[in-house]
Amino acid sequence: MRKRLRKANIWPYLLVLPALIIVMAVVFVPILNAISMSLQNYDLRRPKQIAFTGLQNYRQLFSDKQFTGSLYRTVLWVVFGVGFQFIFGFALALLLNRQFRFRGLVRSASLIPWVTPGVLIALMWRWILDGNYGVVNDLLIKLGWIDKNIAFLANRTTALPSVILTIVWQGIPFFALMLLAGLQGISPELYEAAGIDGAHSTQKFRFITVPSLKNTIFVTTMLRVIWVANSVDVIFNMTEGGPAYATQTLSVYTYLKANTLNMGYASAMAIVLTILLLIFSIPYLHSMFRDQGV
Amino acid sequence: MKKLLGILVAVVMLLTMIPFALAQDVTIDYWFWADNDGYAATMQEMIADFNATNGKGITVVGSQVPWDGGGYSNTVFTAAMGGGGPDVATWKLTATPAFVANDLLAPLDGYLENWADYEQIEESLWEVMRQVGGGEKVYVMPWNTQVLYVYYRPSMFEAAGIGVPETYEEFLDACAKLTKDGVYGFGMRGATGGQEPWGSFIHARGGTFEDLTTPQAVQGMNDFIDLFKNGFTPPTAPSDGFSQIIDNFKSGLTAMTVHHIGSSAGMVETFGEDVGAFVFPAGEGQWTSMGDTENVMFASCENKEAAFEWLAYLAAGKGQETWCKVTGNVPVAARVKEMEEFQNNPFMKVSIAGAPYAGILPILDTTTEWISGVWPATVQQALLGDITAEECMEILQTELHK
Repeated sequence: MRKRLRKANIWPYLLVLPALIIVMAVVFVPILNAISMSLQNYDLRRPKQIAFTGLQNYRQLFSDKQFTGSLYRTVLWVVFGVGFQFIFGFALALLLNRQFRFRGLVRSASLIPWVTPGVLIALMWRWILDGNYGVVNDLLIKLGWIDKNIAFLANRTTALPSVILTIVWQGIPFFALMLLAGLQGISPELYEAAGIDGAHSTQKFRFITVPSLKNTIFVTTMLRVIWVANSVDVIFNMTEGGPAYATQTLSVYTYLKANTLNMGYASAMAIVLTILLLIFSIPYLHSMFRDQGV
Repeated sequence: MKKLLGILVAVVMLLTMIPFALAQDVTIDYWFWADNDGYAATMQEMIADFNATNGKGITVVGSQVPWDGGGYSNTVFTAAMGGGGPDVATWKLTATPAFVANDLLAPLDGYLENWADYEQIEESLWEVMRQVGGGEKVYVMPWNTQVLYVYYRPSMFEAAGIGVPETYEEFLDACAKLTKDGVYGFGMRGATGGQEPWGSFIHARGGTFEDLTTPQAVQGMNDFIDLFKNGFTPPTAPSDGFSQIIDNFKSGLTAMTVHHIGSSAGMVETFGEDVGAFVFPAGEGQWTSMGDTENVMFASCENKEAAFEWLAYLAAGKGQETWCKVTGNVPVAARVKEMEEFQNNPFMKVSIAGAPYAGILPILDTTTEWISGVWPATVQQALLGDITAEECMEILQTELHK
């Protein structure tokens, strides 16, 4: 009897084991490897000098102006990038939740930016914002708002807002889609009851819509913060982090360092970014699960 | 006795099998990048020709790997470090130090000693190959070069009432005079890859790459900055890369730009006879960048003699002729250089005229990082007024020679 019980207890673990081994192999081993490399001067251009250096790479990071600058720009990139995606995504979700003709078509079309590869989006927006032939300059001149072209991607003050605009355009459908799914799960009776009680639109939005979508907002925002913080494709293909580091975020800096084979330093930066994202995510998840009573 | 006889029979049998083994077909895995689909097709035709004509049972299998803005070298590096690299690959000199440091390349000296066409390639070029490999061994097989020169629009020069610049001062003056009516005198490359034309400015003032902080080198940097600040280049110059400078020139936005013969076919297609070229003119010094494309054999290659046959076909054989004719690149083999097609091409003539002044950046283990990250970011800072020319050159010097 006890033997059978033991068998029954082991069986679920055996089922999980293959997946666990794969996860260990493809996630944990590289993470441990990255931690190990970050503690060495692991520069493949000078392989004979590779040695354990302890926290040297981390100490160097905080005296590296490029690193601190990239960290600051990462915060701007994430806050404005994800912030505007959320605002416009929410607005789009509310719009798409209404009844109107061709709603299905509009819903499908609104997904286009999300399903387009980042590299293609970057190239497309590079042309749209081009300082010599770009359609944005053309429109602004025709509207009489500017009298000569603006080199959006070659100017320090406009380059970062330009790449943020691009990532916002790409990410709006993600928020819209997720929030729309949440909106459709809210019972219409709640709005009817609130209407009978005399609630106006703003009150319905504040006291019914937002609380009902709270978990969706939490999860989508967290996911998007992590993705945007780690994204390289849009910035790299639009500006390569320039001009003069103006669009170099931490993930772009890490990519550039890794590309020059300085894997130790690049790993240290990647670990710092991971820790920062964990610091953001853990209280966020904790708060969400606490509200759910988990 | 019986045992000894048995061993002898076995040895004889093995010896008789050697020629058979040598005659067995071998496959060489070759990775290359191509600038367009047409060049990729040409490479596959060359491979087919080599496979059909080598007579030694060698089959080259060519795989196209994207250039990826220079990421090609990293792709090959990652593959080779992971044990899945090719036998032979197309190459850029700047990648060599990292590969040699990790013992990934096979030295070619043993094969070159007995190679009949060794002298088809100039000794100075072999010396460059030796230097990038650390000074003692040759790891890199020359293939073709691209000498940078200035493309210009004769009609715009005529309208501005100026001739082709013969001195550096005249060139700077032309940049100013050509800037009018929405046209910019010079198409500057401020993004990655811009270090090549930039080097001509530094040398024209008498500077060198050995010490970028000399007053002459700083003056060259100041000239570069002034072209941008005075509005003689498009305002997008700090972020303009290869595509942008070529598009700007082809659209008539710029009157001059610097690139090599690889763009000449497209230029002629766009402008017909209204496009010309001249060597970047001399000031106190003269220099232009020599773009390079070579081939290497990997240490992991199991059939090195067969791989060398393919390298030789590309460097001095039919492959040299076909590739340079199609791409317009400058051949390295004397026999091919002397061919009529190359002697009569006006852009090839300018390339050959510029060859005595053509050079490369110092190939150090810092060069790749310097080209891809340090140069564009630092020069962009100088162009945008964040740092002075002196500060810019100080950073460039420190980072290149650290």
